[in-house]
Amino acid sequence: MNTVSRGIRNAFRNSMRTVAIVAILGLSMGLALSMLIANKAVSNKIQSVKASVGNTITVAPAGFNGGSQVNNSLTTSELSKVSSLDHVVGVNETLTDRLSNSSSTAPSFGPGGSSASSNAKTSLTSPVTLNLNSKTGGGHFFVSGGGSLPTNFSLPITIIGTNDPSTVNSAAINITSGQTINGSKSDNEALVSSAMATKNNLKVGSTFTAYSTTMTVAGIFSNSGTNSTKTTEDSVIVSLPTEQSISGQTSDITSATITVDSLDNLSSVTTAVKDKLGGSADVTSSIEEADETVAPLNSVKNVSMYSLIGAIIAGAVIILLTMVMIVRERTREIGVFKAIGASNSKITFQFMSEAITLTVVGAIVGILLGAIAAQPITNTLVSNSSSSSTTSSQTTGFAGRGGGGFVGGGASNAGGGGFTRGTARGAFGGARNDFTNLHAAVGFSIILYGIGSALVIAIVGSAAVSYFIAKIRPAEVMRTE
Amino acid sequence: MLKVKDLKKTYKSGDSNVNAVDGISLNVSDGEFASIVGRSGSGKTTLLSLLGALDKPSSGSIDVDGQDITQLHDKALIKYRCTKIGYVFQSYNLVPNLTATENVMLPMEFAGVVKAEREKRARELLEQVGLSGDKQDRKPPRLSGGEQQRVAIARALSNKPGLILADEPTGNLDSQTGAMIFDLLHNLAKSENTTIVVVTHDLAIAGKTEKVFRLSDGKLVKN
Repeated sequence: MNTVSRGIRNAFRNSMRTVAIVAILGLSMGLALSMLIANKAVSNKIQSVKASVGNTITVAPAGFNGGSQVNNSLTTSELSKVSSLDHVVGVNETLTDRLSNSSSTAPSFGPGGSSASSNAKTSLTSPVTLNLNSKTGGGHFFVSGGGSLPTNFSLPITIIGTNDPSTVNSAAINITSGQTINGSKSDNEALVSSAMATKNNLKVGSTFTAYSTTMTVAGIFSNSGTNSTKTTEDSVIVSLPTEQSISGQTSDITSATITVDSLDNLSSVTTAVKDKLGGSADVTSSIEEADETVAPLNSVKNVSMYSLIGAIIAGAVIILLTMVMIVRERTREIGVFKAIGASNSKITFQFMSEAITLTVVGAIVGILLGAIAAQPITNTLVSNSSSSSTTSSQTTGFAGRGGGGFVGGGASNAGGGGFTRGTARGAFGGARNDFTNLHAAVGFSIILYGIGSALVIAIVGSAAVSYFIAKIRPAEVMRTE
Repeated sequence: MLKVKDLKKTYKSGDSNVNAVDGISLNVSDGEFASIVGRSGSGKTTLLSLLGALDKPSSGSIDVDGQDITQLHDKALIKYRCTKIGYVFQSYNLVPNLTATENVMLPMEFAGVVKAEREKRARELLEQVGLSGDKQDRKPPRLSGGEQQRVAIARALSNKPGLILADEPTGNLDSQTGAMIFDLLHNLAKSENTTIVVVTHDLAIAGKTEKVFRLSDGKLVKN
């Protein structure tokens, strides 16, 4: 029997009290660990969401407003101002338009729902089949004036002029046949999707017409990327100079994607781009959207951090008050110890051992409780926070519109930009739906945190005890005689 | 040799001072069995706590084997209490969740005696005070008052102190058991050549000691 073992034995001296203290400490530490686990799970999710957005900035002509007509446009010369900015490693410019089939008598649609010019015709037929009963994807098709669609109706085809044919709409273009095109050269060459090639019996070297110009198929690509980012099957990709030339929109662009050297510089470059372009463009960085998306998680992270600190303080106060109570109760016994030759430090060490024993047992109970409660607590916190955020978003009518507005989703020349934005929203909307599936794992590090905080609680809690023990005079043993 | 000279202990009580011990001087020789008697509140227990360095006097000196313990620092006082003094209390003051043997081993642990040796000596002492067999491994609540006081005496003897201070050691015992405990202390004083100072209000017991100090209002009335 020595000081430590005596302290451990004293922890179980009064079984009822021990059970009560361990239960309260266990609850406190269980809550602390649940909050720690929730905090880590949420932090990991925030990190993964932010890591998934990439280090790009989207630029669209100013005035995008839910599909209404605007007359603004961006030009390559305006965008050349941002190419020279620090940390900008590339500017992917696109000019997007819609072509209707030349044999179709159905009303045709230009970008943003406006009437297409009579020149925006193609010999191609869209491989996409319209299912009027389908509500999937959020797309809705409205037939002007009611009635049924014309029998020779054909969906429009998207023609994308880009200076970087390797990546379109943030998705890599996978060439399955032929070769890619030169994005800076006006040579009337095109890349078509494999579905488009099949539908129109196209091979590498075949020709078709667009804007009354003969185009040559240089390569065939397959869809790639996620559902929200892949290039659609009804697309034709040409170089930016080609599209500007054949569509008559010289120097115009409908959207641009600026790539920044690192995620850390995204905010500063976004600000610099806004300054350069002024009111002529809407500049949106993916990090802003990610921040907006993870805002509910940040609030959960804050709540869990405050709760964690609160629970640890509560645990320390519980053990502190318990030890003060025990010391006061054993004043006479401490007096006896001092009378028979024990030093203050030995007595303090004994009581500290007792406090550590109680706290470690409480921590074991707390770890078990934390392991059981962490997932439900995390889910509750996240779902409450997400639902309040969703309510707020619905009020502003902005989030969760990805994929919608197939016909009227774009705005004039900003149609491409509108599409990009809608797609990004959809992607983050999907991320938000995943918030309820956060995995709150109890790892080895969590257990170490638990034991570590138990020791901190025990040491802090029993620190005051040494003061009280030092104050007890050995003569107390005689005074109570 | 215990020499006390002009010892005073004054407490503050409201606006006035109370002289619990008021200028006491006394001598007790080595191996002597002395008693301090007096009515309740006469200062007996205060004097005993000063002799045992449990409290500090307001003035005066206490010489134990030529060393004035009133001048010792805290660390030296702890050592003094551990090795030079043995206490026997009226209420035994045993640690309730330790066995009789573990209680006797405690002062030896504080003195740095190794475990095997302190257990051996504890059991020998308990045999010496008449506690044998499984009773040595019982906790105090499972021992009678007389048995607990025997354990307390064994604990007081554990570090072979030169001075044993006993505060009403028979106060909680019936007369027969009290007489047995007193005889035990008396015999130990003789066999171990230990000086024993016992505080009692039992004049019959005090009459059996070699020296009696009578206290009244903190002053020594009769030597």
